[in-house]
Amino acid sequence: MKVRFGRSSKAPVRVLPIPPGGAVPRPNRARVAGFTGAAGTAALLAGRRRRLLLLALHEPEAAGALAIARLPHDTHIAIDARALPPAVTAAIVAGALMRAWRFTRLFSNPAPGLQRLDVIVPDPDVARAAWAQLSPGVEGALFARDLVTEPSNILTPQGFTARLARLEREGVQIEVLDQAALTREGLGALLAVGGASMHPPCLAVLRWPGHGGADPAVLVGKGVTFDTGGVSIKPGAGMWDMRADMAGAAACAGAMLAHALRRSSTPAVAVLPLVENAIGANAYRPGDILRLYNGTTVEIVDTDAEGRLILADALAWSIRNLRPRALVDLATLTGAIVTSLGHTQAGLFGTDDALRDALIAAGAAVQEPLWPMPLAPSDALQSDVADLLQCTSGPRQPDALLAATFLRHMVEDVPWAHLDIAGVEQRERGPWYEADRHTLGATGFGVRLLDRWLAGLA
Amino acid sequence: MLVTDFAPLAVPSEGAFALLVPQDKSPDTLFMAADGLCGGALGRAMLAAGFTGKKGQTCVVLAPSAAHTRVVLVGLGRDPGLTAMEEAGAAAALALSRDVSASIVVEDATAAAHAALGAHLRTYRFDRYRTKETPDDKPRLGTLHVLTQDPGAAQAAFAPLAAARDGVFLARDLASEPPNVLFPAEMAERCRALTALGVRVEVLEPAALAELGFGAILAVAQGSARPARVVVMQWQGTPGTPPAPLALIGKGVTFDTGGISIKPAPNMEDMKWDMAGAAAVIGAMHTLAARKSPAHVVGIVGLVENMPSGTAMRPGDVIRSHSGQTIEVQNTDAEGRLVLADLLWYAQDRFSPRASIDLATLTGAIIVALGHEHAGLFSNDDALANQVLAAGTASGETLWRMPLGETYDKLIRSDIADMKNIGGRPGGSIIGAQFVQRFVRGPWAHLDIAGTAWATKDSALCPKGATAFGVRLLDRLVTEHFEA
Repeated sequence: MKVRFGRSSKAPVRVLPIPPGGAVPRPNRARVAGFTGAAGTAALLAGRRRRLLLLALHEPEAAGALAIARLPHDTHIAIDARALPPAVTAAIVAGALMRAWRFTRLFSNPAPGLQRLDVIVPDPDVARAAWAQLSPGVEGALFARDLVTEPSNILTPQGFTARLARLEREGVQIEVLDQAALTREGLGALLAVGGASMHPPCLAVLRWPGHGGADPAVLVGKGVTFDTGGVSIKPGAGMWDMRADMAGAAACAGAMLAHALRRSSTPAVAVLPLVENAIGANAYRPGDILRLYNGTTVEIVDTDAEGRLILADALAWSIRNLRPRALVDLATLTGAIVTSLGHTQAGLFGTDDALRDALIAAGAAVQEPLWPMPLAPSDALQSDVADLLQCTSGPRQPDALLAATFLRHMVEDVPWAHLDIAGVEQRERGPWYEADRHTLGATGFGVRLLDRWLAGLA
Repeated sequence: MLVTDFAPLAVPSEGAFALLVPQDKSPDTLFMAADGLCGGALGRAMLAAGFTGKKGQTCVVLAPSAAHTRVVLVGLGRDPGLTAMEEAGAAAALALSRDVSASIVVEDATAAAHAALGAHLRTYRFDRYRTKETPDDKPRLGTLHVLTQDPGAAQAAFAPLAAARDGVFLARDLASEPPNVLFPAEMAERCRALTALGVRVEVLEPAALAELGFGAILAVAQGSARPARVVVMQWQGTPGTPPAPLALIGKGVTFDTGGISIKPAPNMEDMKWDMAGAAAVIGAMHTLAARKSPAHVVGIVGLVENMPSGTAMRPGDVIRSHSGQTIEVQNTDAEGRLVLADLLWYAQDRFSPRASIDLATLTGAIIVALGHEHAGLFSNDDALANQVLAAGTASGETLWRMPLGETYDKLIRSDIADMKNIGGRPGGSIIGAQFVQRFVRGPWAHLDIAGTAWATKDSALCPKGATAFGVRLLDRLVTEHFEA
């Protein structure tokens, strides 16, 4: 997909965004076609040389998405942005690219989809500069969507690390701790969760050194490439979805890609525990007691609550080895957060008000909303036989709070935030899906938010 | 019930008493005097028990002198506030429960009043259906003397707290009563008792409800042999022309089987307290009247029983609410929002309130979202929301703000009516609030108390069972913002 900024275009269809009160060309035909200028409306007018899509411009990204939704079969589209400020133009392009994304790699004979997007502007250099503010986040988000969509027979832990070559090309340093290294270092939870799989677990460490040698911002992402639930096996219906249980890791990788594309001076590291939670003779069991990297012992209650375990190891490892200035973890962690907040916003937990507010602001700016949630009392996870209980059992457990509280035990006094993105990492057809705004499938939720947050760090 | 009185500061020379001890401070003169009377036994016991005055710590010293039966040391922690005083009073009363009469020594008058309140709140017992208990099975503590520097000031400070206690006890009693005893008509009768405090109580019976067009409440009630009641309780506050009132709205489902969308059997007995929102409103009205609050407050509760029967509403029924809006009932177990819909609309129509606050055990989803530490707060008004949040924090009945939004509202669109009463499991509490909001005009707050209305274990100020969550919060809110 190519985005080109120029003063003209030969595309067979032209999109004309019209702000509220703006002049509408061919007003009679527009009226007949039902164009009112209200948010979410568009009208396609046929023409001798090319078609014209009149597009109501209110929220720019939504308008960009709507244009693509109304032109599903076009491979070459032009946006006439001659009358628009550069930042608005850039946001329309961002919305268009986010909506135009499709994952076609595994079709034998894919429909071509959008190939070329021309943006007609009075000053291409100025427009390109504005777009350069948004394009890293968009590119990172689309990269993350690809990762989330790839099936688990291809995107194993090793398949995931192979995809990190894309980041290496942009100057990100990739280190992978394999099973032997994990054993040596004592990441007991990651090893246990990965014990039953043919594809061994690993810890990928993605470093962007930046300049000036400041302590890095550290991202930690849950990367369960497939989650059967393990011995506490999940029901069959909908289990295919569990290929997306690495969306937290994908979001962190996407954010690191964006950060590198910005050539940022801010040091950042992503730490990704990658593992398949499989069933097998070497699976871990409910009742097992694991020893985490930091020495904490954990009594296992449910092998399907594996995300908090691998995050705990990764958080503890990060604290001991990276001197983080702040820790942000992302994970498709609990069904409870979906019951709490539905499919539009992620749950935000943490220990640091400033970090919390910064993340909420970053999310609001890129339409990845976060809602702050409380932690459970610190004695909520008492075990009779170990330092910590992994989770509680029974109906109606506040599991999102409990999972966050479990992680809280790992982060010592480092400013920390946890984003439970279960529920927002993918979109299915149904009442939460709006075809005019959304793609189906992976959303890349978190990438643009993290990119924005990292870009705002001094 | 426990009786407290306030008497001049002294260390009792005999019997049982409690002393409150701040953490890691050198012993004060009171402690020294007490320890002297006990021949140094208190100091020795502290050392032996490792008692440092940490919050939640108690140290019981048996027969420390020939004249003393029991001395209880209660840890206050560092920088104790009034809540810490309440919790210390509670801990003291528990530790002294084997003594028929005992004392607690609290120097400061306000602190003494709160310690007394704590003792009351924690020793509440709902035992009217225990017929075989011997006196030995029951706590014996009947009188607690609070020994304090200025007994008069303490007594005065205690008066409004006693009103809060009475409101809390009333609400706990109502929520604890079994559903065969407490049904809509009976609960309405209990509301009538507030008349004695000067509350104007009106009970609307089914004929009146039908005339007013309370289609939603009547639909919920139609499956039960025990008809609905709506009770309007008006507390005028300052005499003369009152300002626009605060409206308090409570869900009062005296028993919720789920109706035709019947609930699973395990734990269904919990559904006797599906009227805890109404109980909290009634308790708050009692408190405000008992302490002669100058605020103008109207409490409205909708009392129904949700039963499956040949006359019950069905999933698929479309009903017409008091507002005129139609509702497709897709699940008869989402009945609380139907009750609130009619009440809120009616309150706004009739009283044009400054603000409306509803309390309801509305959704199981709020338990999944927030557990049992916080109730969910939903509001269309940030200023009101912040006032309610602050009142919750100050009263120890903590809330957590939850979102509302158009995305959630879309989920209750119906194909054949103005809305449907459910919208799926994801975001279940928000969807419930969003439904209620369709009946709201003006500043509004909704408290989903399904996770906080009943406790399965004892806490510092409440034995397990009904908590009366909301009574103290509302009392506090009115004090701070509605008495000007």
